[in-house]
Amino acid sequence: MSLPIAARIARRELRGGLRGFRVFLACLALGVAAIAAVGTVREGIEAGLRANGAVILGGDAQMSFTYRRASDAERDWMQANARAVSEVIDFRSMAVVGDQRALTQIKAVDDLYPLYGQVELSPPMPIDRALAGDSVVMARVLADRLGVAPGDRVRLGAKEFTLSAILLRAPDDAGAGFALGPPSIVRGAALEGTGLLSAGSLFDSDYRLALPEGADLAALQAKAERLFRDTGLRWRDARNAAPGVTRFVERMGAFLVLVGLAGLAVGGVGVSAAVRAYLDSKTEVIATLKTIGAEGRVIFAAYLMQIGVLAVLGIAIGLVLGALIPLALAPVIEAQLPLPADLGVAAGPLAQAALYGVLTALIFTLWPLSRSGQIRAAALFRDEIEHSFALPGWRVALVTLGLIAALVGAAAWLSGVAWLTYWAAGGIAGALVLLIIVAGALKWLARRAAKARALRGRTALRLALGAIGGPGGEARSVVLSLGLGLSVLAAVGQIDANLRNAIAGELPDVAPSYFIVDIQPDQVQGFLTRVNTDPGVSRVQTAPMLRGVITRINGQPAREVAGDHWVLSSDRGVTSSDRPPPGTVITDGQWWPADYDGPAQISFAQEEAQEMGLKLGDLLTVNILGRDINATITSFRVVDFSTAGIGFVMSMNPAALAGAPYTSIATIYASDAAEAPILRDLAASYPNITAIRVRDAIDRVAEVLRGLAAAITYGALATLVTGLFVLIGAAAAGERARVYEAAILKTVGAVRGQVLAYFTLRSAILGAAAGGVAVLAGGIAGWAVMTFVMEEAFVFQPGSALVIVAGGVAMTVLAGLGFALRPLSARPARVLRARE
Amino acid sequence: MSDPILSLSDVTLTLKGNAGPVEILHGISLDVAQGQSVGLIGPSGSGKSSLLMLMGGLERATGGQVRALGHDLGALGEDALARFRRRHMGVVFQSFHLIPTMTALENVATPLELAGARDAFDRAAEELRAVGLGARMDHYPSQMSGGEQQRVALARAAAPRPDILLADEPTGNLDGANGEAIIEMLFGLRDRHGATLVLVTHARELAERCDRVVRLRDGRIDGAAA
Amino acid sequence: MLSVTDLAKSYGQGDARVALFEGVSFDVAAGEAVALTGESGSGKSTLLHLCAGLDLPDAGQVRIGGRDLAALSERGRAGLRRGQIGLVFQHFNLVPSLNAADNLAFQARLAGRHDPAHCADLMARLGLSGLGGRYPEQLSGGQQQRVAIGRALAARPGLILADEPTGNLDEATGDAVLDLLLDLVADTGAALLMVTHSERLATRLPRRLHLHSGRLG
Repeated sequence: MSLPIAARIARRELRGGLRGFRVFLACLALGVAAIAAVGTVREGIEAGLRANGAVILGGDAQMSFTYRRASDAERDWMQANARAVSEVIDFRSMAVVGDQRALTQIKAVDDLYPLYGQVELSPPMPIDRALAGDSVVMARVLADRLGVAPGDRVRLGAKEFTLSAILLRAPDDAGAGFALGPPSIVRGAALEGTGLLSAGSLFDSDYRLALPEGADLAALQAKAERLFRDTGLRWRDARNAAPGVTRFVERMGAFLVLVGLAGLAVGGVGVSAAVRAYLDSKTEVIATLKTIGAEGRVIFAAYLMQIGVLAVLGIAIGLVLGALIPLALAPVIEAQLPLPADLGVAAGPLAQAALYGVLTALIFTLWPLSRSGQIRAAALFRDEIEHSFALPGWRVALVTLGLIAALVGAAAWLSGVAWLTYWAAGGIAGALVLLIIVAGALKWLARRAAKARALRGRTALRLALGAIGGPGGEARSVVLSLGLGLSVLAAVGQIDANLRNAIAGELPDVAPSYFIVDIQPDQVQGFLTRVNTDPGVSRVQTAPMLRGVITRINGQPAREVAGDHWVLSSDRGVTSSDRPPPGTVITDGQWWPADYDGPAQISFAQEEAQEMGLKLGDLLTVNILGRDINATITSFRVVDFSTAGIGFVMSMNPAALAGAPYTSIATIYASDAAEAPILRDLAASYPNITAIRVRDAIDRVAEVLRGLAAAITYGALATLVTGLFVLIGAAAAGERARVYEAAILKTVGAVRGQVLAYFTLRSAILGAAAGGVAVLAGGIAGWAVMTFVMEEAFVFQPGSALVIVAGGVAMTVLAGLGFALRPLSARPARVLRARE
Repeated sequence: MSDPILSLSDVTLTLKGNAGPVEILHGISLDVAQGQSVGLIGPSGSGKSSLLMLMGGLERATGGQVRALGHDLGALGEDALARFRRRHMGVVFQSFHLIPTMTALENVATPLELAGARDAFDRAAEELRAVGLGARMDHYPSQMSGGEQQRVALARAAAPRPDILLADEPTGNLDGANGEAIIEMLFGLRDRHGATLVLVTHARELAERCDRVVRLRDGRIDGAAA
Repeated sequence: MLSVTDLAKSYGQGDARVALFEGVSFDVAAGEAVALTGESGSGKSTLLHLCAGLDLPDAGQVRIGGRDLAALSERGRAGLRRGQIGLVFQHFNLVPSLNAADNLAFQARLAGRHDPAHCADLMARLGLSGLGGRYPEQLSGGQQQRVAIGRALAARPGLILADEPTGNLDEATGDAVLDLLLDLVADTGAALLMVTHSERLATRLPRRLHLHSGRLG
């Protein structure tokens, strides 16, 4: 009998209209839309990657080797299994035009390139024509840096090339990953005479395979790895054409969804406030119902149904928005991304957003709803003290906690980055708790301050503080709604500024000026002479370098033993030296004696070894230039990669690498003035060497970080917009009370300026409080991230903090003043008569 | 009458209702001498509350003139009216109309503060003690009964030592005993400070305690007993 | 029907504790109409609430139809109110989002005793025929109070508790409403306990209880 009654009550009350629930709907819709949009875009990108895998990769499958071209055995196997095989040699070098030098990533391709897709050139022409003879195509930024246009001459190594066209887009761009220099393409044959690819030069050879229709990629991979794994083969295929990009998109998407969840949490605050206000207006009705014998459960069910219908409406609006906005912006998005994106309506992200929306709505409505069941019938008849902070029944508390756990669990599972989710959820919960405490403290402080003798005479200020500290009051809703969004922004601001300082500020002081690679063994002496005699050079370090892939640990496949560690993901630098290089700190074990000639030994980087679970005595199989070298780990040393100096994960005793062709790398620490002449001389004498200007590299990294920070900031802004909605809702809800107060104040003699000052101060103080808390929370978050994740020093950034506080004040004052017009202008008599 | 403290000449009041303009008051002319107590009586809808509001400058007359203490209220702007009220008038309403977010002490001190008094809080404390609420000064309206709230409102009206006291059905929301107490206090205040009192009520007995009874019906004065 | 024994109630906390009344005992039999008077603040409304099970006494017992209210849970008391008691207040307390007919039938529906014929009959006798579709805000004070009376009677309760039912109405309307109430109650044979502060109205009921200085006279 109770459910039909409840439904009847619900239906009638709903017909009364949605007034007052606009904020409720807006908050839910916005939060759900943000998550749905992020998920849709991510899904679109991943779909694009999947659908265009072969094009991105440049083939159905790719077999890569470091340092060498494919052996005959390997070539034969490839020819036997594929329809076509295209060879691409990938390496770093310098392009020189007169006095200008620029770093570039060169792809030396054969005439089957590209196996899939088209290369976009300007002026438009087929790639075959563009690469005919000794021609090169270059990315526009490279051409601009060198000051050349199609038709001009460019020197690569010892040979002159003609720039035939600007490289706009290559189909396999996305698969290339992060490179320090812009791309150039030449014919492999044209490298003859450049002196660039001698023995020991560092390059990757990629063999793109066009496979027959319906080829079983997994089976082929298994076969190839079985045959060639121990030769240093790296396999990639169209199933996961750009693993780095995929991983990045996944992580970024997951992170943005987490930010979206923060937005939903803020929205939840608005939802909760709306429900509470609604139920407050229904107190009489609810008490009446109870008096005539309706049970708490029936009343709870009735209002739960109403809220439920509205929540479904809000979530539906959010889903529609979240699906349509990416579609509408698809052309813009697809143009911006260097990847093919396939934006459409994706069921998965929408379902995920809906799930989060439903859970959030429930979490934030159950508590205030349960109070509806608690309203005592006698409340109708006695002067009850309003709004005592009633704790929910244990049942409601338990269910709410369960729902929160479900939400966090679902987020952790669906995002794929469980640890990040838990941290984020903890952070959000912590921030909310902190904000609630602060709101309470603010109220208490305001109440005491309002009574202070010092304030007597400053009426507007005293009124404002009294209002904040008095019963009711919007301290909590303002601080919560704005506080979370501002906190995220503050955290981003602090972290971003600190990171940029660390990178752009400190790093150049300790980093070398130049990184020189590809120094041939017979060039080392001459090189050292040139730089060591230069007064502008403070320090030079050189080391021999080979690159090798760790294929086995103690006989087991390396991946099985140490998992997905970055050291195993591709080839790594291997050096060798008689003695520990100056400044080396050996943490465990012992370096080999100076002319050691026994079984091969390795000194491994200590931190990475710890992460991989390696111990002294472990046997590593490292494949260098196709040859397996088995070496025992005999010492660990500290390697600090953060100073951008020379750091090798592995160092072997020289005898182990005897006979292997190698090049040397060097770092030069020089004054600014000395840089140019050194480079000119080196380039003239040794055209094959590549000089990487470290400051340029740092700038590139900083650029990427800036992009990341921007993306996160946009996400945080979404949270802030939701907070703004809640704020506006609170201001609107408070308008009636404000009108009343203004009428009374005018009656007892306040002029409108005083009333306005009171309203403004009230808003400003609350906004400043929210901003202040945000800065505190942001500072703590920033310190935590810098100290534990980045392992860098943290310096508080007052500029960013000031902007946050000012922003908080501005928003609350604007929202408050927006609803101050009526109170200021209404005639006291009308207002008071209406309240009789 | 030598210089009436309140003087209404042919005052009309028209308000916008749901179904068009409604004429609340038609051509009211009335003089109130200083120190007099006037009872405004009449059936509901007769316009007595509106008349009171006009006297206090809380409502603007549509036609005619309202003069208080020699000032033409119609010629004063909103802010000037507010300043005028804070110096010369105290108003008590049927629904108390205390500011919910201020304590009793703060409510009473506010008009004094707005007028710039340095000892606003001390005077407010005194007024509250005079109405027997010395122990409740730090309580909020929501923590007080109706009778107590009205006493706070009384203290608030009396604190600035106003020349004119306006009371709109002050006992309407109170039961017998409390209402009696409030009326006693109201008249006591008037006697003590010599203020002029205009009291709106629907209870004949109460109106007859005043020096003079003015009866309103349908927006017009229905015979004025002196 | 209603049996009150040794009832005591006070309110407030700590030093501000005020005793309203104590040692209050009385009975109201089926078919009886009793007026409960006393000065304002004497606690007569509170006494009525205790009789309705809306509040619990500090001491003493309230029995309705033989059932001890204190022995029932919150749900039990709600159930009792649904089926056994009709309440009429000073402020009409109708549900604003339901029309007059639905308001009238509401308690009967809750109690599972909705009888459309009986409701229609009540509407007619209360002079509300044709007003069933109107919402409370569209009805006058007198009409709203009549709907409230109808609601109280629709479930055929054994006990009617009325708290100043005419307090918000002018004299003429109030008298008419009271007449209706007394007639209808007499028809159904229910017990009636009515709180009033008006001497005039109190004398219209056959029996009278007076609360004075915390005791019943």
